[in-house]
Amino acid sequence: MVKLPNINIGKIILLVSMLTWLGLLFVDLLRLFGKVNQMNLGIAEEITYTLEIIFFILVYLFYSRSIELNENNNFIQLIWRAASTGMMALGTSLLTRVFYIILGNTRLSTDPLLANFFYHVNFGMITIFLISCTLLWKKLILYQKNKNIVQQWQIYEVMLLVSMFYVYFNKNSFGSTFLFGLLLLLILGIILSVNLKWIPYLTFKDKWKSILFFFIILVTGTFLFFQVLGYDNSSYIIVSLTDNLFLLGLFGFVITYSLFSLLVTLFNLPTSSVFEQKLTEAINFQKLSQSIQPGQNETQVLDILMDSCMSAAYADAAWLEIMDDDKNFQTLHQRFITNQTRKEVRELIQKSKSFSEYLNQLSQTSQDYANGFIEHELYKSALIIPIWVNKTLLGNIFLLKEVKNGFNKEMLNIMVTFVGQASISVENHRLLNQAIRNERYKEELKIAQRVQRSLLPSELHHNKDFDIVGFSEAADEVGGDYYETFQFDNHRFALIIGDVSGKGTSAAFNMSQMKGVFHSLVQLDLSPKEFLTRANNALSRCLAKNHFITTTYYVLDTDKKSISFSRAGHCPTLYYSKELNQSSFVSLEGMGLGIVRNRKYPNYLHERTIQYVSGDIMVMYTDGIVESKNQNGEEFGYDRLKEVLNQNKENQPEMIKNNIIQSVYDFVGKSALPDDDYSLMVIKFN
Amino acid sequence: MLSIDKQKDIEHVTLILDGQVDASNSVELDDEIKEVLSLNYKTILVDGSGLDYISSAGLGVFMSYLEDFEEKDIQFLIFGLSDKVANVFHILGLDQLITLKANKEDALKTINEA
Repeated sequence: MVKLPNINIGKIILLVSMLTWLGLLFVDLLRLFGKVNQMNLGIAEEITYTLEIIFFILVYLFYSRSIELNENNNFIQLIWRAASTGMMALGTSLLTRVFYIILGNTRLSTDPLLANFFYHVNFGMITIFLISCTLLWKKLILYQKNKNIVQQWQIYEVMLLVSMFYVYFNKNSFGSTFLFGLLLLLILGIILSVNLKWIPYLTFKDKWKSILFFFIILVTGTFLFFQVLGYDNSSYIIVSLTDNLFLLGLFGFVITYSLFSLLVTLFNLPTSSVFEQKLTEAINFQKLSQSIQPGQNETQVLDILMDSCMSAAYADAAWLEIMDDDKNFQTLHQRFITNQTRKEVRELIQKSKSFSEYLNQLSQTSQDYANGFIEHELYKSALIIPIWVNKTLLGNIFLLKEVKNGFNKEMLNIMVTFVGQASISVENHRLLNQAIRNERYKEELKIAQRVQRSLLPSELHHNKDFDIVGFSEAADEVGGDYYETFQFDNHRFALIIGDVSGKGTSAAFNMSQMKGVFHSLVQLDLSPKEFLTRANNALSRCLAKNHFITTTYYVLDTDKKSISFSRAGHCPTLYYSKELNQSSFVSLEGMGLGIVRNRKYPNYLHERTIQYVSGDIMVMYTDGIVESKNQNGEEFGYDRLKEVLNQNKENQPEMIKNNIIQSVYDFVGKSALPDDDYSLMVIKFN
Repeated sequence: MLSIDKQKDIEHVTLILDGQVDASNSVELDDEIKEVLSLNYKTILVDGSGLDYISSAGLGVFMSYLEDFEEKDIQFLIFGLSDKVANVFHILGLDQLITLKANKEDALKTINEA
């Protein structure tokens, strides 16, 4: 495949338009040469007209492209471009005149061929100037465009195109249709010229510049216009290029728009500072409303707030006092005022009754600011605006002016809005930080939850003589319930279930201590009572004064088919006896671990041994199960638990466990959150 | 929800509990007992007839003062507990350390006998 070279369309258009212009020059010179030498070369006028139209269109396309491509033009640059093109056209025209003055009365000065050459040069320059201006004005007119303006502009372009071809019909003579066409172009030009929305966006300095540029364009345009009119009587022009409806229409448009712009810019000058002020306020407002990024601090927002307020009120000096943690005011930002003067003014304000009363109020009132007169040698009016964030005072802004009554209602309204926005930003910033912190705590708790879950056994020790299952669920992320098993040999096992007082994190820590105590003591293969006595000794040194742990410790012997246990304040064991075909709670006196922290503790402990038979079921649980409440505040209770076991006496431990949990959930109701930790161990003997 | 009232008599002071004691408000109970302790009464009574529920955290509060009562030789009695709440004390074994009485008369009688 043949790869096409990368063609620059702009350059091609430029080249072709230059060639067209040369063609135009050549044809006209040839015709003039024929006339001078009294020869009829038979060159029709239409050839000239066609070349002229092609030239117009090419220049139009070239500028259209070039302006479109240059996207980041600001208004001043656009106008400067028009003015500079105008000056080039003007310069060319003036240079031609100077050239003729230098020639004086030489024979060359009356040479029609030379004159015709210069005529073509000037024609070319005028065309370039007018078309480039028109397209630049297009950019200005279509600033903040709407559908109507775009349509109007399109109509105008079509009319310009038609006006180019008009030349074929009237041979450039001034007839009524020519005037009518010109009038039409002018009217539409004027209608388009009212679109001057770009002007207010110029800064004061830019307005002056644009006035200067427009003045240049107007002078150039007028000069060139009269020059074009002057060509009419020249003998060396056989086919006039400049008495063209298109060119004259463009003259009208360029001059009208320049004039309008000049006048409107001029009259906009006095109010431009107001517009600039409003624009700055809008930008300030936007800056304030952008929330502070995490990691940044509030000082930046307060800094912007200070600047915004100062510029809104044209204040001469200002400072900002921030209330620190000890309720003292610290000066944070200070503008155009020395420490000395600030202290002076602060004392004056403190002495002034209305100001000091305002400053001493403790809560937010409907009065958003305090505005008044001070007797300082330099500053005559003062304004205090407090910044309230989430109903607490963050600080006060003090603004000073050298004139009396310097703060008017509009300024005050804007500043109050600024302060309001800044407060919101600060508050959002704080909330965001808090949210991030909370998120981190949540993550930490999740880790704690994982760690704690790993403290509960995933497998429970057993042999073929019994099956066992366990279950635990915490009300919060972490809980204080505990159960575990241990195997001494092939027929003897230790079981423990416990509940730490309280719930949540503190309970979880104590629960892990309990686990440590269990694993240390279980190695010693103690009797249940001895085990709990030693556990009490150990835990008495570990637990906080108001904390205790309830637990029951069981030693199971599958050879002897016996369960020995001792209860340390824990919920009574639920036992289903196959022989009696009923469930009951095994009663045994006891005392929680950590309640009596001295030698008397064993006195409160008792031990009991029961013999089991195949089919017996033992349910160990924590108080979360029996104390779980339904929506009426009623507790699940011991009787319901017993009833569930009676109904499930034929089931396997897994099923019994599931059914107990399910009935607790059903009782509590789906919507209610668990209030306490639930734990459960179920053993069934084979 | 828990509300605690104090009733001061010449020889004893009574704390009247109403509602539930759980982990969230056990601190209030703790503060009240601490305050009552500072009044130097030789007998402290707790009227638990309005108590619907007491959690382990609540029991922990009573438990933590047992030593103080013993040291200062203060008689501490709880009366009027519902069966359900009394059972909670019983299961934990606290009824072996704190005297529980059915009503105020019984409680006062116990004091006078002592």
